[in-house]
Amino acid sequence: MKRNSNDFFKTDLTTWEIGPYHGSLPAPMRLKLSLDGEIIASCQIETGFLHRGLEKACELHSWKSVIAYADHLDPEAAVFGELVLCLGVEEIGEIVVPARAQCIRVILAELTRISSHLAYIVRIARAVGSETIIHYVLRDRERILDLFELLTGARFSLNFLRFGGVCADVTDGFIERVLEVCEMIRIRMKEYNDLFTFNHGFLKRSAFVGTLPTSLIRACGMTGPNARASGVNFDVRKETPYMGYDELEFQIPLGQGEGGNIGDVHDRFLLRLREISQSMEILKQVADRVPAGDFISSKVEKDYVVPPGEAYARIESSRGLLGCHVVSDGKEKPSRVQFRPPSLAHLMAVPELVEGIRIEDLPVVLASLDLGVAEADR
Amino acid sequence: MNTGNDQISWIVSWCRAIGLTPSNTPPWLYALLALLCTFCFVVVPSGAFISYLDRKLSADLQARVGPNRAGPGGLFQPFADILKLLQKDTQKQWGWRENFWLSVHTMALYSTLAVLPLGSVALLVDTEMSAFLPFWSALVLGLGTMLLGLSQESVPGWFGGIRVAAQTLAGSFPALVALLCVGIRAGGFRWSVLANSQGFSPWSWAVFANPFLLVAFFIFVMSGLVLLAIAPLDGGLSMSDIHGGVSSHLFGRRLSLFRFGRFYGFFLWSVITVVLFLGAWRLPNGFTHGLLRLEAYSVLAVFELVWLLLKTFTLMLLIVWISRVNTRSRVDQITDFSWKVLSPFSLLALVGASIWAGWRAF
Amino acid sequence: MRFSVFSQLALYIRDVSLGVWSIFESCFTAFPYLFRWGDLRKEVTEGYPDPVSSKTADDLPPRSRGLLFNDIDRCTGCRECERSCPAQCIHIEEEPGADASKIWVSVFDIDFAQCIFCGLCVDVCQPASLIHTRQYEGAAYSLSDLVASFGRGQVTAEQRAKWAALRQLSESDEVTL
Repeated sequence: MKRNSNDFFKTDLTTWEIGPYHGSLPAPMRLKLSLDGEIIASCQIETGFLHRGLEKACELHSWKSVIAYADHLDPEAAVFGELVLCLGVEEIGEIVVPARAQCIRVILAELTRISSHLAYIVRIARAVGSETIIHYVLRDRERILDLFELLTGARFSLNFLRFGGVCADVTDGFIERVLEVCEMIRIRMKEYNDLFTFNHGFLKRSAFVGTLPTSLIRACGMTGPNARASGVNFDVRKETPYMGYDELEFQIPLGQGEGGNIGDVHDRFLLRLREISQSMEILKQVADRVPAGDFISSKVEKDYVVPPGEAYARIESSRGLLGCHVVSDGKEKPSRVQFRPPSLAHLMAVPELVEGIRIEDLPVVLASLDLGVAEADR
Repeated sequence: MNTGNDQISWIVSWCRAIGLTPSNTPPWLYALLALLCTFCFVVVPSGAFISYLDRKLSADLQARVGPNRAGPGGLFQPFADILKLLQKDTQKQWGWRENFWLSVHTMALYSTLAVLPLGSVALLVDTEMSAFLPFWSALVLGLGTMLLGLSQESVPGWFGGIRVAAQTLAGSFPALVALLCVGIRAGGFRWSVLANSQGFSPWSWAVFANPFLLVAFFIFVMSGLVLLAIAPLDGGLSMSDIHGGVSSHLFGRRLSLFRFGRFYGFFLWSVITVVLFLGAWRLPNGFTHGLLRLEAYSVLAVFELVWLLLKTFTLMLLIVWISRVNTRSRVDQITDFSWKVLSPFSLLALVGASIWAGWRAF
Repeated sequence: MRFSVFSQLALYIRDVSLGVWSIFESCFTAFPYLFRWGDLRKEVTEGYPDPVSSKTADDLPPRSRGLLFNDIDRCTGCRECERSCPAQCIHIEEEPGADASKIWVSVFDIDFAQCIFCGLCVDVCQPASLIHTRQYEGAAYSLSDLVASFGRGQVTAEQRAKWAALRQLSESDEVTL
């Protein structure tokens, strides 16, 4: 249903403005819908409700404090914000991260990926109306958050990475606990599949709904699990490996379209379940071989000032390609820190994706895109 | 005096059940008393009890604790909820339209209080078409809810109203056809006839009488869920995208009225299902005859009521369990399901039950 | 035509039976939770503030970043924490103390309404006077109650007089020596 000039004369279209707070929206944003009966004829999106001036705030604080701001970029997957900033600064300063610190960083990143995907399951289940799986998944996510607290002291905003490594070594028993939690989640995934993934009601609401065409993916620059569910094989960990990912063996799952189309809501859901399994494989490999050594590079002292230069770092966050452009002019505060959040590209695809679906599918489709509006608005 | 006798004849057995001797007081007073008693002593406590059990059961299924602060083990939670809701009210002035449609909606529901089959002696209205009266009120309820939604000035209300109307229409056809199946077996649609065709033990229940009636049972339950928009088939009152639709503009006292109406619809449907399919209030024959010989009508009424309510609550909690664990369907999927799955199977069940009954008659 | 009718009917029957079966399967998956069979099916929520089941500060891991505490006797008033705080929630006022080597930290306020519990201030504290406790119950009824004061308070006039007298005494001692 493309918008053309005839729509102006369609006076039977209902206009409905949803937002900024609404049950169907995953986060504060405004959608201006024009509805033809129950079907959405067109949609305009307005965001910026979560704009906190993060990038400007980064210019007003010293380099060390900026890590705390990068941490708050995406509250649900905080490590990725810190990681991309640290990688950018390490590129400028030509700091080599010790192997032990790299392993700890990989463990944190993959645990955050699993935790973020578990929260995704909760959001989809809430949109579809299935209440029981929500509590089971949150219970398992608590184990991962307990692991974070054991290592870093905080559950969500970790503030653990520093330029050149991490800020402290692993505590006793941490690696064993990581493996235990992985095993527990692996067992629970079977329960999720029994209860929810192949439930007929869920299949009816998610198969053939909200199919993302690859043309839209390329036009908006979408990356991450959303793109991979439609068959676009792009993962930063394989394309431009960082942090030792080229030494690890893992596969990139792609959407197969088992429930319905390739790239529909069910496919995106299944893909993230497979990514959880792959993250657990990575964790097992890394946990087996954490080398002894320093947890932070000796080049970085207490009052480290970043030399002049600029760098652009890219990582694969749980939502897609997260980029950070760091510009330093040798002073004690950054000159410019600019983030490229993956959710901004996803938001740009929403108006076209949402055209033609029923109003009741709106919460499901929006939840399936894993929109991190906090990181998109910064 | 003749008309007077006819008027009070149907109330005589109810009076005996609660221990009153019918005298010269006008029958409408007894009727009013009967309705009030049913409402206050059966429906409201059931509502409180079911709301508590619903929350505790959901909590158990979801590895949570559930209400545990208001009273021992959270038993007074429903009263706490009602007290809270009753204290809230909005300053917004309501027009005559909203008041009118809310009254229609409420009257349609509670008009069935008189028809509620609660026992063999406590039956108020036991006519040839007793079993069909709740359907009529469900249809009026659908109309009232639709107009309550359409009278709002916002999109959630309109959409909610239309969806509820579509659901009501879709659910009524299979429900009626499934009801016909039972009537064919029992030989009538009087509550007493329907109840007496069943017995105490599960083997004598209508649902296990023949496979077609088993199908009719499932169809009746599910079409009731569709008709009255009960979870998990409550797409018309969907919380996620239209914020409750029809009830999105209700607060405080009006919301508690609306919510209680929803519970009452669910309760009514479950009671009717138990009476039609699951053995009604039938206690063992010896027990019943013994009490009747002793003329202990109130004792019999209490036992029958308790047994009936036990089965009703079990059925309601089973439906709550299914709704908490499964997803909610979209409204068009619900109406599709009702027209394309429930209706053909209900017609099949009707044909089969008729053939079965006819074959046994020969 | 006949083939398509039968295959559609078969698909329809399969759809209906799959639906019925998957609903029952979901119900039976949740069934064991009713009776708490097994370790994995216990309740996860804790009663709060039920003293029996909820966690205390000692149950948390040793690195937990709870409310901050400053030991004013070890604090040197270097202001590093104030400088590194991203939320600018630490407010310090100081002046020279009894003798030239000591610093009197008169005001050391941490506004917990602003604090993001990032731990950067604890990282940079050289004398290790500022630490994270594991206390997490910091709710208060007003914003002003959320400001924690660890300072010694403003210097009074008589204290200043006493210090001046002490200083004169030590100077006169040096002269005699």
